Amino acid sequence: MRQAVILGSSDTKRTIYLEKAAAQEGVSVTLVDWQDWETYHDLPDAEELLVKIDPPRWTSCSLAKLNQLADGYMHELEQLSRLAKCRAVTFLNEPSVIAGLLDKRACKERLQQAGLPVTETIRLSDCSNDGKLTVEMLLEEMRRQRVHQVFIKPVMGSGAAGVSALRWNARTGQMALYTCALLDADAGLINTKCLRRFSKAKDILPLLRQILALDCIIERWYPKAVHQGCSYDLRAVVQEGKVDFLLARLSKGGPITNLHLNNHPLEITALGLSEQLLEDIAILCRDCVKAYPGLRSAGIDILLEKGHMRPRIIEMNAQGDLIYQDIYHENVIYSHQARMIKNWLQMEALKEAL
Amino acid sequence: MQFELVEEDNINVSKQTYYYDYEEYEDDKGPATMIEEILAHDAFPKLDELVIGNWGAWDGSCQPIIDGIIENKEKFSHIQKVFIGNMDYEACEVSWILQGNYSKLWAAMPQLRELTIKGSNELVLGEICHEELEALTIICGGLPVSVIQSIQNAKLPKLKKLLLFIGVENYGFDGNENTIKELLAHAQFPELTELGITDSEIQDELTEVVLDSKFMEQITTLDLSNGTLTDKGGALLLEKIPQYPNIRKLDIHHNYLSVNMAKKLEALPIEVDASEIEQSWAHGGRIYMNALLTE
Repeated sequence: MRQAVILGSSDTKRTIYLEKAAAQEGVSVTLVDWQDWETYHDLPDAEELLVKIDPPRWTSCSLAKLNQLADGYMHELEQLSRLAKCRAVTFLNEPSVIAGLLDKRACKERLQQAGLPVTETIRLSDCSNDGKLTVEMLLEEMRRQRVHQVFIKPVMGSGAAGVSALRWNARTGQMALYTCALLDADAGLINTKCLRRFSKAKDILPLLRQILALDCIIERWYPKAVHQGCSYDLRAVVQEGKVDFLLARLSKGGPITNLHLNNHPLEITALGLSEQLLEDIAILCRDCVKAYPGLRSAGIDILLEKGHMRPRIIEMNAQGDLIYQDIYHENVIYSHQARMIKNWLQMEALKEAL
Repeated sequence: MQFELVEEDNINVSKQTYYYDYEEYEDDKGPATMIEEILAHDAFPKLDELVIGNWGAWDGSCQPIIDGIIENKEKFSHIQKVFIGNMDYEACEVSWILQGNYSKLWAAMPQLRELTIKGSNELVLGEICHEELEALTIICGGLPVSVIQSIQNAKLPKLKKLLLFIGVENYGFDGNENTIKELLAHAQFPELTELGITDSEIQDELTEVVLDSKFMEQITTLDLSNGTLTDKGGALLLEKIPQYPNIRKLDIHHNYLSVNMAKKLEALPIEVDASEIEQSWAHGGRIYMNALLTE
């Protein structure tokens, strides 16, 4: 007996819209709730399983717990990998690949090794302090490299959690910090999902110390391409090496473009990008996925540099397939996944018949 | 040097932004190297509009650019429109843009029709005397009184459009509603048809000042956008605008009006943009509202 499984959560849009698409393809998908998996560490009793792993629900807004939550999730992914060694389980995205992409630092290094253009990581010349980055070290490095604006991203974060954009004028000492993180007197460092701008060092420095303590990567803050006064980047959903969906994420008045921050999504055609550029982006996305065997579905964030329009990969996410602008319209992404499930079921049936 | 084509009609490129990207800045390019590179650019002689983007604006004033234009004024004699500081927040905080002294530019560019300046840090306009200038726009997070006084005393007989971002105290606006009252009382712009007093956190008070000014008799476009206009200012507009049949366009986008007031204003028999209604928020017993550009 063969069975397709979503390891996820009921009543989430990911589950609902994949189930809808599967029903349209005439295939059934069984939901295994993350809570059940964490209790029993087992999947349905079938000879052959195809498992799609959706992210578990993280309800805490505490950024201090980010690494702890990520560690727990990594552990579960390891358990899933182990299970596949003793049972016939195929994954839509391999758990080890999902884990690999959760680590922004490792992902960036892998893409760079593959010769792919990524947003540049600012490397520290001072490796003292056990590799832990302090505010003073960061500012000194910015001064030394003449970089006046950077992005600071928790290595294990997802979405815009803890992501901050810092400007520092080494000549005048002026600072500006754009972030969704906030220091709460009771809860400590929290993610507010609301972008704020701080301009006073007395507000910025304590916040920055807490953010850097999360283990962060530092990236160059590139001026992004602009459409009608709004800067934007792109989110591609790439499945089986093909770009299924490409969306622009516009931001007016803030450098952080994330669909969870009330940024404005825009159809790619409205940007008027050239055919050549779109083709370059598609090839780049395909090459990124190739760098991760076992990755069938990925969300890829792409920056287009203002002026040059040079594409650079910001980050990749093995669970970046939920795009509201798709599910509420043609549901292309989950329909493709439903066809992948259907094909798998048919192939397995064929193998059995032979 | 980056050349960003802004507009083209397939034959003549008329407008182009010149700027340095981060790699060039890190390779020691800056305002001192820009004019020479602009003059060497093939397309430059065909331009009628010169737009200067980022020159490393947080690190150095644009004075070498202004001085370069003045020193090479004959080579810039075909330029009718100048915009210095065309960069968004991705490139530089507006309040960090180091502007310059334009005192000598007026005489050096007698053909100039439009001047747009972004940023007010270190901005000096000096004694403004220009026979041909038709449009003056200053975009900033806080406009110093010294700059407002230069405009107040300006001799601009052909000025048709004046657009000022007033901004906030933290970023350079060191005046109040009386500063703008004096500006509008003393300024002599007989040809003015477009007046913009925008981006203020005292937008209601400035609305009252503008509505009581002599320019209401002559302008056709009134711009009070991007500020903290509430129903108080909205009610004044509703009462006064019908008294001026010369007003054909009212721009009050980005405001804190009630939906009801916005609808009433949009029902005026003129072109009205009352879009982008913002929500104020309360904290510690205070109501907070932001003008659009306050950094």
